[in-house]
Amino acid sequence: MVEAFAVASGKGGTGKTTSTLALGMALAEEYDVTVIDADTGMANLLFHAGLSSVDTTLHDVLVEGGAPVEAAVYDRFGMSVVPCGTSLAGFEAAEPERLRDVVATLAVDTDVILLDSPATLGSKSAVLPIVLADRVVVVLQPTIPALSDGLKVQEYAHSYGTETAGTIFNKVTDPDDVQSVAEKSRRYFDGPTLATVPDSDAARKARRAGEPLLAHAPAAAAAEAYRGAARDLDVRSGAADDVADRFRSAVIPEQR
Amino acid sequence: MKLPSGRLVHSRVVDDPGAALAAALDRELTGYAVLEPQETLLLAADARGVLTLTDGVPVLTYHTETDRGGPPALADLAVPGPYRLELVALPADVLADLHDTPALRVPPGMPAQRLAGDPDLAARTRNNAPDSRVRESPASGSDSGEPAQQSAVEAFLENEGKIEAIREQAREEARERAAEWGLDEVCE
Repeated sequence: MVEAFAVASGKGGTGKTTSTLALGMALAEEYDVTVIDADTGMANLLFHAGLSSVDTTLHDVLVEGGAPVEAAVYDRFGMSVVPCGTSLAGFEAAEPERLRDVVATLAVDTDVILLDSPATLGSKSAVLPIVLADRVVVVLQPTIPALSDGLKVQEYAHSYGTETAGTIFNKVTDPDDVQSVAEKSRRYFDGPTLATVPDSDAARKARRAGEPLLAHAPAAAAAEAYRGAARDLDVRSGAADDVADRFRSAVIPEQR
Repeated sequence: MKLPSGRLVHSRVVDDPGAALAAALDRELTGYAVLEPQETLLLAADARGVLTLTDGVPVLTYHTETDRGGPPALADLAVPGPYRLELVALPADVLADLHDTPALRVPPGMPAQRLAGDPDLAARTRNNAPDSRVRESPASGSDSGEPAQQSAVEAFLENEGKIEAIREQAREEARERAAEWGLDEVCE
């Protein structure tokens, strides 16, 4: 079985990468999880996962005649992690459409794929993770710009045939107040509110230490919130072959 | 709010209100900024948000369509860009009279926080504000601090018409771009 989720928000700074890795680690208790940094233009997952000095990244796989996918997969924190490089040259050389084959290859041997998605909807490579995923997890903050951008992400996803798995309210400073915001936003967002994650120094310290939140501060309230999100996420089984076929046959032209 | 015409120093289209606030702050503008959402689908054609500024720091806000000022005007202005931004310079003494309108005042960092969701820009704005204003609360006293932020967010979520317009605009954009990016066939 395999299901691919895009972890997305229209806006930067909502804590998508922290959320992707935290959700991944929590889901890894039960599932075989693969996390892919699909933000090929502004990659940062490698810094969060202690992978900043690795030789081979997604950039090396996304070029013609490049490295095999397996060479960019690292076993870390109980998950398979595919980091992406940060060089502009790497981004420019990468062919985003090849992401489809990467996901198809990895889908054969995992239960859950999490795609850490770009904080923009402004280019084809930025929306590809949302197009390729089965469902999207929308990371929100209880602010007007973040909600407005989250709504846009959801509409793009739905327009491209990708459903909403749920929402995560991140960097919440007042848990009591966010309840009512979450309640009101439920009218507009499909799926459950998977978590309201308190704003915490633990997440910032984890980032500085190059570790996912759940590895760095497993007892933090924020970490517990992500474990709750993983429990509430109903991972749907799909035959791996079907998913691989679907990705391979996705109607994305071969050439840019 | 009646504004003197002043001297137009900057006019361009910006993607979001954060860019407008940053432009005013970087110029340390004394005068006012007019933000006009380009997406008329979302608002009446004459809908504009006005912020007065001293040395680039917001003082008053007002929204022409809703006729509301202060923090509620920020909620009214929070729609997706792009916006036409005009920055107008005024002599400080002309502004001083205007600024004696407590009902329209906002704390220095609030526009960056609410319109742009940008804590760094808010902090930068507060750093540029005189000490007397840093701890300023909105005039009503009922709309300060974190609960106010939430109530503005709730007011936004209760405006079903605006939310639907944002969604409709996003759907349309997704469709147009699908064609542009060769994704037509995935588009539903």
